Amino acid sequence: MSTQEEILTKLREAVVEYEEDDCADAAQEALDSGVDPMLAVMDGLAAGMEEVGVLFDTNEYFVPEVLMCADALYKGLDILRPHISMDSDAPKASVVIGSIQGDVHDIGKNLVKMMFDVAGWDVHDLGRDVPLESFVEKQLDVDSDVLAMSAMMTTTMMGMKKVIAMVKEKNPECLIMLGGAPVTRDVANLFGADGYAESAGNAVSEGIKMIGRLREYQKGEIQ
Amino acid sequence: MPEFTGKERVQKLFKREPLDTMPCFSGQGAVVVQAIEKMGARFAKIHTDARLMAESAITSARLFGMDAVVIPYDMAVVAEAMGRGVSLYDGVDGVIYPTVPNKWKTLDEIDIPADYMSQGRLPMVDEAFKIIKEEAPDLAVGAWVLGPFTMAGQIMELDILLKGLKKKKDETAAFLAQVTRITIDLVKHYQELDVDFISVRDMGSGTDLLSPRMWKTLVGPNLKEVFDAITRVPSVNHICGSTDMIIEMMHECGADALSVDQKNTVAQTREKLGNDVLIFGNFDPYATLCQMEDQAEVEAVIKTCIDNGIDSVWPGCDIWPEVKQENMKTYVKTVREYGKNPSPAVGRI
Repeated sequence: MSTQEEILTKLREAVVEYEEDDCADAAQEALDSGVDPMLAVMDGLAAGMEEVGVLFDTNEYFVPEVLMCADALYKGLDILRPHISMDSDAPKASVVIGSIQGDVHDIGKNLVKMMFDVAGWDVHDLGRDVPLESFVEKQLDVDSDVLAMSAMMTTTMMGMKKVIAMVKEKNPECLIMLGGAPVTRDVANLFGADGYAESAGNAVSEGIKMIGRLREYQKGEIQ
Repeated sequence: MPEFTGKERVQKLFKREPLDTMPCFSGQGAVVVQAIEKMGARFAKIHTDARLMAESAITSARLFGMDAVVIPYDMAVVAEAMGRGVSLYDGVDGVIYPTVPNKWKTLDEIDIPADYMSQGRLPMVDEAFKIIKEEAPDLAVGAWVLGPFTMAGQIMELDILLKGLKKKKDETAAFLAQVTRITIDLVKHYQELDVDFISVRDMGSGTDLLSPRMWKTLVGPNLKEVFDAITRVPSVNHICGSTDMIIEMMHECGADALSVDQKNTVAQTREKLGNDVLIFGNFDPYATLCQMEDQAEVEAVIKTCIDNGIDSVWPGCDIWPEVKQENMKTYVKTVREYGKNPSPAVGRI
């Protein structure tokens, strides 16, 4: 029988080595051994993804490897998540996410979505090539804490500005995140967004760093 | 009075013959809203009508004194001809380029029709080339195709393709070889249309996505086959995004010129490749032509490209159609004036 630390190591390694079956097995072993599923997610799967982020930042891993690591992470997450006890009184954070109309790229969007899934948020994924009005309707409908939009191409980026204006007018409290290759900090500021990730590559780095911050938060290291 | 027509200037550039000044053109989309407005047309309509496509290309070039036109404007043309459909966003105001709505989701599903060359908008694009050649004989005419890897990502889901590179190496390599043959058919076809240059844009293959090792085995050899097939007109190997790590391999593919975007460190690229290689690039078209408020800033960007050793100042990507008129004028004017000095690979008369 493996110890808790050994199981967490298996989860981490399965994510880093993009071994989907090993990740599912380790997740099941965590449950069978009585490891806290939240701990398994945070110090196993998310910790593994943090290592992937380092490998990506140092040009050891590229997007194909990161996508496969994400697949492995989801295999474990699907097994562990139903067993995480949520405080029923606490409101669950939620996000509406999608790629903007005219953009059929969704790799960056899906990597950012993974970050919210790991964190246990309610994720409303509108997919890609999403009409501008659909973002606004969904955000107002579910009153999400965050609206996250991505545009891979300059040519679709301008739609974000319209959505931000529409959402901020009706719901100024909603935080808006932008991502995608053509989005720079200047563009995000110009459009009135609250955060940005520059590219699929940066979405990987930024998304994974956010997972790291989340882990620190869970441990009480960030107040 | 210019010494040469735009067509002559571009032709001489590729032959590396002395010029009056640096040519100003692009191998990427260069249609601008000012031209479309002048025609009384809408952006959504210029992708499906040969006359509107040709006219918008010519008018865009003439408005700002560019040396060449390049069509078509969107990346969905070939995928549409293969039966993957096209979203034209006809009812949407503003600028949204056509996209491919129904990419193949697995390698097993892929079934490329034998007659794709006569399907979708491909015949219409041929007609637009014909109109341009007849009505603007003084302008160089550029055709472009997607490189095999990027084309593969247009006809099948990109994440499946990327994972396939690792998980199903043989099947994915066979699919890329199939797409390479199609790309070769297309470049041969455009040669027959007697265009002045062909740009092969494998913009999805930079090291933002793929490792240099993967590029060497799965992208480079296919691109080399495509450039080997372009025998009658000059060719350009364009990749946007991060290219510093693959620039030597890009050069080995055998194109007549390389085109890179603002992420490339051109001064280093010039050092690596020497002064005989034609290098085009490398400014950020959206930031420079759409966002900058100060003409001195635009001028500085263009001059930096030239100072770093560019032979023709190309935008790193499509010119975003909603350019500021003044910025476009400054771009062209700076290229003409500051480009009077010889560039590394091309002298001046």
